[in-house]
Amino acid sequence: MAGESKNGMQCLEFEALLNEALDESLKGQKLENFQTHAWTCAVCGPLLAEADAGRRWLKSLAEVEPPINLMDNILVATSGLHTSRRHATTGAPLSDSWFERAREWASGLVNPVFAVARQPRFAMSFGMAFFSLSIGLSMTGVKASDLRHADLRPSAIKRAYYESTGRVVKYYENIRFVYQIESRMREFKRATTPAEPAPEQNQQQNEQQNRERKNNNTSGQPEQPRQERNYSQGESQPVLAAAPDIPPVAMVTTYRRFV
Amino acid sequence: MEDAQVVGMLVRRCVAGDAVAWEEIVQRYNRRIYNICYRFAGSADDAQDLTQEVFIKMYRTLNSYDVERSAFMTWVTTITRNLLVDHFRKSKQDRVTDSIDAAPSEHEDATPLSDKIQDRTPTPDASAQSRETRETVHRALQKLSPDLREAVILRDLQDMDYREIATVLRVPEGTVKSRINRGRAELARLLQRTYRQVM
Repeated sequence: MAGESKNGMQCLEFEALLNEALDESLKGQKLENFQTHAWTCAVCGPLLAEADAGRRWLKSLAEVEPPINLMDNILVATSGLHTSRRHATTGAPLSDSWFERAREWASGLVNPVFAVARQPRFAMSFGMAFFSLSIGLSMTGVKASDLRHADLRPSAIKRAYYESTGRVVKYYENIRFVYQIESRMREFKRATTPAEPAPEQNQQQNEQQNRERKNNNTSGQPEQPRQERNYSQGESQPVLAAAPDIPPVAMVTTYRRFV
Repeated sequence: MEDAQVVGMLVRRCVAGDAVAWEEIVQRYNRRIYNICYRFAGSADDAQDLTQEVFIKMYRTLNSYDVERSAFMTWVTTITRNLLVDHFRKSKQDRVTDSIDAAPSEHEDATPLSDKIQDRTPTPDASAQSRETRETVHRALQKLSPDLREAVILRDLQDMDYREIATVLRVPEGTVKSRINRGRAELARLLQRTYRQVM
């Protein structure tokens, strides 16, 4: 086919001119040669017929209607906005009221944000955050039912702030008062406690007491060491406990009030 | 004002952030892109998804479009064609031109296309017959190899000129013409064989 030449036209040339012939842009001598070649060539003739038939089949295919929601889906997927033409096509006139215009303006700002937030990964993250928060609140004992609508008013928030501040100030004032009382009591205790005698006087007093005890002992048995000793002490350590003339110690217990 | 100027202005407005201009572009081209996708992919669902992908890509790369370099329609069609090729590779529909009597794919019924057509008696309703014919041609179009299919779709269904098609397909104009001729002839052979069996 490639090298064949019939009626002044080669098959390759015929194939090159096939498109122009089908587009009806071939004219003059070229068209005559083309037609003659088509009639006489056993390969190119059927090729022309098939190509022409194929073109007509393709032209018979009508344009298909895209789905109704396609444009909306595209706009939401790209700019995050819905089409405004839908209102026009349905016949409903677009409102020119200031409210409508403000709403459209606001939706132009808010919709892109919501379009991002509507994505599954963000929804999943928000869900997890809410779940964690609710678990945290329930573990700390906060109930959602305890929250009232009135608590969120500015005046209520301001009052809650001042109450909390007052509570903290009172708490520290109370602690200061308690420390003052404690220090006064300590001073009073120190003032009322008598001064301890000197070690030499103590020794003399002990010897005198031993002598008196020996005189009073009528059993004739040797003297036993005293049982009320502190067993953790060694022999050389002096016993300082149980002085009978020590005044009773006043115990002060302070209860901190958490107002 | 010429269409190219109008589109150029729309693109500039759109790049500047005008949502109405973008809506206008989508309104102008969604039907055409959907039809290219539908004829190439063969299914309405795939066509819808692909059309959305085309517009998403267009939206992201709109600022790279050069008005002086090529027509907007050529640029849009190039994006569409590239996505269709990607889709074709992903779905591994490595279809070569095959006979209408060839073994059916897994998505089709057990009977070959010619048998299906043969079973159908001509309906008295002319419009129904016409619809069936269009469906047959559409199915036969899917049997063409992708190279031939995209060439005939762009030429005979989208009425693009050879130079634009050559730009979109990135092949010489002669190759475009050759593919168009082969595609048309192959389609006719497939359909003639079908209707010869019906007769």
